[in-house]
Amino acid sequence: MALDLTLSRSAQGRAWSAAGWASALIRPPFLLYAPASLFLAVFFLAPLGLVIWMSVSEPTVGFDNYAEFFASKYDLNVLARTFQTALIVTITSLVFAYPVAYVAARKGGAVGSFLLGIVALSFWTSFLVRTYAWMVILGARGPVVGLLVALGVNPPPRLLFTTFAATFAMAHMLVPFMVLALYAVMKRIDEVYMRAAASLGARPLKAFLTVYLPQSLPGVLNGATLVFITCLGFYVTPTLIGSPQDKMIAGRIGQQIEQLLEFGAASATSMVLLAAAVALFVIYDRLFGIEKMWR
Amino acid sequence: MSRSTVIIAVIVAILLAGPMFIVVPMSFSTAPSLEFPPPGYWLGYYRRFFSDPNWTGPVLNSFLIGLGTMVLAMLLGAPASFALVRYRFRLRALFRLIVMMPLIVPHIVMALGYYSYFGSLGLVQSMTGVILAHACLSIPVVVLTLTSALVNFDRRLENAAANLGARPLTTFRLVTFPILRPAFFVAALFAFIHSFDEAVIAIFISGRDSATLPRQMFNSFQMEADPAISAASSLLLAAVLAALGAQFAARLVRKQRPAHS
Repeated sequence: MALDLTLSRSAQGRAWSAAGWASALIRPPFLLYAPASLFLAVFFLAPLGLVIWMSVSEPTVGFDNYAEFFASKYDLNVLARTFQTALIVTITSLVFAYPVAYVAARKGGAVGSFLLGIVALSFWTSFLVRTYAWMVILGARGPVVGLLVALGVNPPPRLLFTTFAATFAMAHMLVPFMVLALYAVMKRIDEVYMRAAASLGARPLKAFLTVYLPQSLPGVLNGATLVFITCLGFYVTPTLIGSPQDKMIAGRIGQQIEQLLEFGAASATSMVLLAAAVALFVIYDRLFGIEKMWR
Repeated sequence: MSRSTVIIAVIVAILLAGPMFIVVPMSFSTAPSLEFPPPGYWLGYYRRFFSDPNWTGPVLNSFLIGLGTMVLAMLLGAPASFALVRYRFRLRALFRLIVMMPLIVPHIVMALGYYSYFGSLGLVQSMTGVILAHACLSIPVVVLTLTSALVNFDRRLENAAANLGARPLTTFRLVTFPILRPAFFVAALFAFIHSFDEAVIAIFISGRDSATLPRQMFNSFQMEADPAISAASSLLLAAVLAALGAQFAARLVRKQRPAHS
């Protein structure tokens, strides 16, 4: 039997016996990966499994929660809004991140260090701190509204607690992620290609579009996938400065848990979010391999 | 590269960092609510931050939870990294997937899972619960950091030690660990920060007595009650600035000193 064979081989030819089993188990790879496996099974997979289970068993067994989700105009709107926001945030952050990563990767020196330093500062500063900064800036008594009033816009528009505020702030927060993903790919692009393009007579813009941009596309895809997925599950910022009526999916789950105590519905909504995130990761993994994403 | 491209990049970078610094004048402001520019300046909110147990408690909790997470994630993640890089075993692909999964599953989904799961285990609203949850999230961070260092590790150094008669554990203590020490340090630091910054799970499961700093900040944003939040934000920003500054200074010093002196 194939199973027997592998087991006895891993016990180095010893007979299929209790002793063989034991020696296979105290060998390095098992001893090294067993603790993490066990821990993640008990404290990660089990709670995740519980969400799956609750989605088909609370309050009654069956797929009612999913049926309700997909029959609810409200929930489908939440889902559509979440995807739309994630798309806008991804494109916006890409537009801002690309020039920063490009200059940092090609120029180096003091300008490069300055750019990377700023990106690191913003990357490592807590989302909560940056959300707070936007609360102040966009607030009813903040500088933007103050400026608009001084310019004669009366009454000033409401900026805080709108979908615009949340989208804008999320894009701002995710630019550093995008820059780092782009930079990781760009710094490996050999300068030789751009010089060759120039010496063959290509103008800078043409050289960039035909030579550099295509080579940087893996970084664009990396960053876009990472930002898009992060944005799909964003809870803190939309909850704090987004519109309370126009929730995103994570905020909807939070509401179902905390205010409505509908655990079955919350679980079904969670599974929809999880399915979207996993589907994107699977596509990405097929195309590029998943470890590349965080390097 | 044209000058205008560089200028655009610098402007974007300034727009990226600039808005964060608004929290600094806010922390010295006398205004009880979000008002900019501030009507006056004082140190009252810093005094409040350092004396009010509603703030000092969560700061302490966040440090303890971060340290617990760091220890647990290192103890579990470091061996896992060695297994992944150095051994080919059955179910290795599955193991890798399980280790990476916490990075993929949105935190709000896990918050719901832990809320119910720890509820039945009696771990909800406890520090232990938050540490266990954060350790799961930090394991992939540790594994990513350590595996990328391990892949580049020259195993001939270990073979040399073994040839000279060192047992495996001695080899690890005297050869492998010292060489990989920077990677271990960075992995541990990332695990700590990952926990210290985590808000969503902490908001749902940490409860009042084991509230973390992000949870306390989130709650005071929602209530718009406590302006000491601006002091907390400024201190967090200052911590990041100090850490990056120290790293930059260390690099300058290393550059100026001749190698191997």
